[in-house]
Amino acid sequence: MNSFKALVKREYWENRGLIFLSPAIIAAVLAAIMILGTITGDTFVETHHGEINLWDKFPQAVEEFNNIEEEKRTQAIQISLYAPRILFGFVMMLICLFYCLGSLYDERKDKSILFWKSLPVSDTATVLSKFVSVCFMIPIVYFAVVAAFQVFLLVYGTVLAWFGGSLGVNVWTSSNLFGVLFNSLFSFVVATLWLAPLWAWFMFASAWAKKVAFLWGTLPIFMVAIAEGWIFRSSHFIEMVGERVARGFTTLNSDMHFLVGKDMFDEHYVAKWYEVLGESGFWIGLIVAAGFLAGAIYTRRYRDES
Amino acid sequence: MSTLIEAKGLSKSYGSHQALKSVDFKVERGRIVGLVGPNGAGKTTILKAILGLTSYEGDLTVLGMNPERQRHQIMQKVSFIADVAVLPGWLKVANALEFVTEVHPNFNLERAKYFLGKTNISMDAKVKQLSKGMVAQLHLALVMSIEAELLVLDEPTLGLDILYRKEFYNQLLTEFFDEGRSILVTTHQIEEIENLLTDLIFIRDGKIVLDATMDEVTNDYIEVMVSKDNIAQAEALNPVMSRDVFGRKVYLFQGVSREQLEVLGELHSPSVADLFVAKMKEGK
Repeated sequence: MNSFKALVKREYWENRGLIFLSPAIIAAVLAAIMILGTITGDTFVETHHGEINLWDKFPQAVEEFNNIEEEKRTQAIQISLYAPRILFGFVMMLICLFYCLGSLYDERKDKSILFWKSLPVSDTATVLSKFVSVCFMIPIVYFAVVAAFQVFLLVYGTVLAWFGGSLGVNVWTSSNLFGVLFNSLFSFVVATLWLAPLWAWFMFASAWAKKVAFLWGTLPIFMVAIAEGWIFRSSHFIEMVGERVARGFTTLNSDMHFLVGKDMFDEHYVAKWYEVLGESGFWIGLIVAAGFLAGAIYTRRYRDES
Repeated sequence: MSTLIEAKGLSKSYGSHQALKSVDFKVERGRIVGLVGPNGAGKTTILKAILGLTSYEGDLTVLGMNPERQRHQIMQKVSFIADVAVLPGWLKVANALEFVTEVHPNFNLERAKYFLGKTNISMDAKVKQLSKGMVAQLHLALVMSIEAELLVLDEPTLGLDILYRKEFYNQLLTEFFDEGRSILVTTHQIEEIENLLTDLIFIRDGKIVLDATMDEVTNDYIEVMVSKDNIAQAEALNPVMSRDVFGRKVYLFQGVSREQLEVLGELHSPSVADLFVAKMKEGK
């Protein structure tokens, strides 16, 4: 168990840039843009009535905000808290893709596999540690960065409220922050797990590829799709893959969908994270993933490079 | 158990090419065995089979275990340095120590810190910032801190300059090797290790052509520097090889008594390199 923890830690060390720095930098840049945008002159808006200084309008806006119904205010705040997840979720999926494609390929490219294999760690433990990293470690790190950004948003809102002459307490009381964080955490993890068969496939391709793991990972998917089109004149396979990917995104952003009045996604393709856990498709995906992982373990174990 | 490695009928083919042709050998505890052969002779294949990195035919036991099926148990007692720098560039020295401590039950962190303390390697450095020699020092420090029974070295000093090479083997001898352990080493630079070795295995085209202790080699093989007058007599004793040195002939004999040879000229023990050349040319 101790060594499994060390293996996951190793994945973090190796991919710190991908896993932590990229979302942290995005969050920092967004925060900086918001702060600078507020401080510098961008608060003047041209309308056909002439120029309006937003600073002058603050007290009015804050007052209006304080006067709307509690329910509407909660909705507005939560929407702004969930909104960043669309961007961060998209970045995370891309990063998971590249992480998986490199996971069992890079160590062969830089020959460090001979060092890893000189230690008493089984191939099964190594491959599983990489799978656990993509399905749990990456989404949890993303959750943490997004959580920090969400707290920043509330602080930012509070400060704006101060300028408008309000204490801004209702920014926090209406935020349902803990509920948002709870849903965020599980949405990130369940959405990544929903995509587990894809991650496991990319890991298998990564273990298999002699060169350009990206092509080994993606081309077979298109080749199967083309072959199906030729032979059966149908497109079930690529639709299945497309739906899997789309459902990953809708699962990640389902909170947003339900908040904005359920018109963000097609209702057949969206469910809350705990509903996804109850779907057979979720568990079938994990079984398919187990098959690809077994292939990846076998390939890493018995591959002879010479 | 004093036999660490035992191979019987060990064979390996890559497609139609037979890399190992039914090889038998043993490595006993407390020995330093040099596995020597030209490129493509099968050295690395033998090492890979021992380390469970490749499939093979025949019987092979390492520490009483089967390397194909019990690879990761074997690696608790076996250390390995490969012929290429295999520490990944992104790894920090401190993280390398932390990682090996956590995954290796027989790793001694204090010892590793002690070895690193004697080098200029900083704990915060990443492997890619270190020179080639320093990477080798780091790898050696890690490996020497593992309480291993068998250390496998595949061209460990390839590409290192002479200072690091000497230091590498000196450290191994003084800090690591004892009668409870064995070292199996392949190298092209035989001159550097011939004084270290207790046993010698020569391999050519997938077959073992010499398997002897250094004592046996010294007793069995004698080099004689023969003056011109005695050449005919020397040729009559069936030398294994002859070469010209400064106008005189040097003959290498196998299994001919010292008394018989003394009359022909000055006797020497052949260097392993000369013996190697002789063995590789034999029958060709």
